[in-house]
Amino acid sequence: MALGDCWKQLSWFYYQYLLVTALYMLEPWERTVFNSLLISVAGMAIYTGYVFMPQHIMAILHYFEVVQ
Amino acid sequence: MKKSSPQSGVHPRQNKQESFEQPPMYVAVMTYVGYGLVTLFGYFRDFLRAVGLEKCHVAQEREEQKDFTPLYQDFENFYTRNLYMRVRDNWNRPICSLPGPVFDLMERVSDDYNWTFRFTGKSIPNVINMGSYNYLGFAENNADFLKSVADRLQRYGAAVCSTRQETGNLSLHEELEQLVAEFLGVESSMTFGMGFATNSMNIPALVGKGCLIISDELNHTSLILGARLSGATIRVFKHNNMCSLEKMLKEAVCSGQPRTRRPWRKILIMVEGIYSMEGSVVRLPEIIALKEKYKAYLYLDEAHSIGAVGPTGRGVTELFNVNPGDVDVMMGTFTKSFGAAGGYIAGKKELVDYLRSQSHSAVYASAMSPAITEQIIRAIKCITGKDGSTEGIRRIRQLAENTRYFRARLKEMGFIIYGGDESPVVPLLLYMPAKVVAFAREMLARKIGVVVVGFPATPITEARARFCVSAAHTRDMLNQVLHHLNEVGDNLCLKFSRRKHPSRPDPCEETNS
Repeated sequence: MALGDCWKQLSWFYYQYLLVTALYMLEPWERTVFNSLLISVAGMAIYTGYVFMPQHIMAILHYFEVVQ
Repeated sequence: MKKSSPQSGVHPRQNKQESFEQPPMYVAVMTYVGYGLVTLFGYFRDFLRAVGLEKCHVAQEREEQKDFTPLYQDFENFYTRNLYMRVRDNWNRPICSLPGPVFDLMERVSDDYNWTFRFTGKSIPNVINMGSYNYLGFAENNADFLKSVADRLQRYGAAVCSTRQETGNLSLHEELEQLVAEFLGVESSMTFGMGFATNSMNIPALVGKGCLIISDELNHTSLILGARLSGATIRVFKHNNMCSLEKMLKEAVCSGQPRTRRPWRKILIMVEGIYSMEGSVVRLPEIIALKEKYKAYLYLDEAHSIGAVGPTGRGVTELFNVNPGDVDVMMGTFTKSFGAAGGYIAGKKELVDYLRSQSHSAVYASAMSPAITEQIIRAIKCITGKDGSTEGIRRIRQLAENTRYFRARLKEMGFIIYGGDESPVVPLLLYMPAKVVAFAREMLARKIGVVVVGFPATPITEARARFCVSAAHTRDMLNQVLHHLNEVGDNLCLKFSRRKHPSRPDPCEETNS
């Protein structure tokens, strides 16, 4: 039951996303193209953040002389 | 033949500013993002069509003619090909019944994303009609009401087969013109067979080179076409903005014609009674004051307001308690409130007599058909009460009440609505292109037919759904529509209004006088 509600809520959010970005007007294969582009770009950004965030934070702390 | 008791409610009505509320910032941003995305995909699809990976459904030249001057420019119809075609199942829907308060639609499906349609053979019955210009409910097929129309059809046939100047001037036409002149409170009037042609063919007869036309920003295409055809200089003032109009009039009177500095032969101010896309009402008293001060003429197009506003349905002149003789040229159409077709121009006798011989429409266009003429005659007799019943005044009151109720409930629900409180045209702003399409489809699934309007007819960020309230709608129908609107508004997140509205007082306590 909770899973059904969760699924309904998620599909409502997906519907809103389609409406707001005008993907609702496009054909299904175009939606797939756009969604894969978006997910790959977002995935790459998250991965880069994950790899480089510790170095950047150490550099900031070093600059503000919090840590030597 | 003048006004009945002066309305004590006129001055508060004049002071109420019409609201054109702005949506939150993210709405405008996402509208542009949406259009940008679909445009990018449009370029992509055009590329696929050019390369040959996709079948091209639009018109193309033959192979042998590809080296000639191009007949079909690829880019010109970019918008139609890539945006409109994807979603065009929401427009041009075929109707298979009378366009009354409820109607039947033919069901049609598309197998190739709206490039072609096929009918399934079934019809969708009893769809509530919120799109027809049926303000007083005269689009009806009640045999009793239409008896005189049927008699005329039997006696005179279906068409006149001639122009007014040759053998097409029936005594019916004279009777109609007499009635229209009395109805409006002017000296004389002339009727034409087509409403659009009334504007576009008569403005060239009234103004020419050396004259100045000052027209409102949001005027209808027929007015713009007539102005361009006339050859006069056209200047545009901001919508319903009296400061802009006054500045333009001052500048015109002081500087005269552009190079020679001679005074303008004529200055004509063109405005509409109710603007069909905004639902806003013209500020008639202020325009008349300006026109008297700067000695200009006024052309008032009452296509949507005649029969629909005013305590007895006589249009904006009655709404603002203004003498109809102050308006130089009163124009209107019979398509909206009278359930017929055609238009009229009314005013002083010299003006109308001049138009009878000089207007293109009078000389070349075929005269109005006898059955339609009789329909207008019976509609005017019904509205003014000349046929002895109170049906007309009942319909006018019903329309005013429906309009007030509908607008108040929509504002209370939190939608952004444009326009003045008396206008039966209610635009509901939707903004984003995908929401426009989803709205039309969802409302049809709930058996309500709405008209949605998008980019070329409205500014790009202000797509809207336009409701036309009718006197034939019962309170139940309006409640049903409002209930569904509420649900669809929640499902699609359309309630952008940030103003707080107190819940409405009982409409039975509000009175008109």
